[in-house]
Amino acid sequence: MTEKTYLKAILGIIILFAIGLVFYFIFSASYGDGLEKTMENAGVEEGEPVYHAPLDYGEDYLTAFFAGLLGFGLVFGISYAYFKIAGKKKESKEAK
Amino acid sequence: MHIPDGLMAPVILAIGWVIALAVIAFSVFKVNKKIDEKTVPLMAILAAGIFVAQMLNFPIFGGTTGHLIGAALAAVLVGPYAAVIILTVILVIQCFVFGDGGLTALGLNLTNMAVIGTFVAWGTYKLFPKKLEKVGVVAAAWLSVFAAAFACAFELAASFSLSGGAYGIEAAISLPSMLGYHAVIGIGEGIITGAIFLYLAKVAPDIIKTRKPAEEVTT
Repeated sequence: MTEKTYLKAILGIIILFAIGLVFYFIFSASYGDGLEKTMENAGVEEGEPVYHAPLDYGEDYLTAFFAGLLGFGLVFGISYAYFKIAGKKKESKEAK
Repeated sequence: MHIPDGLMAPVILAIGWVIALAVIAFSVFKVNKKIDEKTVPLMAILAAGIFVAQMLNFPIFGGTTGHLIGAALAAVLVGPYAAVIILTVILVIQCFVFGDGGLTALGLNLTNMAVIGTFVAWGTYKLFPKKLEKVGVVAAAWLSVFAAAFACAFELAASFSLSGGAYGIEAAISLPSMLGYHAVIGIGEGIITGAIFLYLAKVAPDIIKTRKPAEEVTT
């Protein structure tokens, strides 16, 4: 795959995310997931978190969209860096 | 399916950390040894795409929602060890940056979604012959969600039993509830994973065609 194809893929994912988020806020945002529902069925409440994260996914479309973009960038950057370093290390080992 | 802090018994949390760290360390070892640099952009885009897909909960029934885990998609596209690392990066960012899943429960969340989800998907996918590959992808996706949910339900039940009810949820509630919801959520995972796989086969057949050698580099 070429660089152009990868850029297209990134743009495509972001566009799909922007569209999907509309449906998320229409149909799902106010409901819990399978585990949360199980906790609700058992009358168990979520405890106080041990660690408070600096951000959350947001309560409205724009905040969630930018949270998603930030997460997308962070996950992409960290994964790319890790796999790239692993690839370079392997290459230099093989060259020895 | 992200477990929050304070829900599971400490001993179950500890077991989760031990399993997760051992499998992640082994996966790092395997990937470092056999990675193909050409697959790096694909793996990074896949990881970032799964992250945003996990944000998009879809409704099922009874006011419940589910979201893609992505373990099956990653496993069939880049192999199980790279998939474990991809899911690990996602879950760590979700926990530390967005507070999705508790810090003490991160080991269990990694065990359920990155480890069990990935290897159950991979094992299921490998059971299917090449001509039934697409069915195998969908089955792998469904079973990865169901297995991760079963593990979570078991951890809830074990926490309840070991702590005398101070933590977790009794098996009579946790098992039918978790398995019932996730049997349906798994259908969503199967449809999304199958659709992405078919789409890639059409628009980027090189990914699918070169997947065998690519998968060997990370298995």
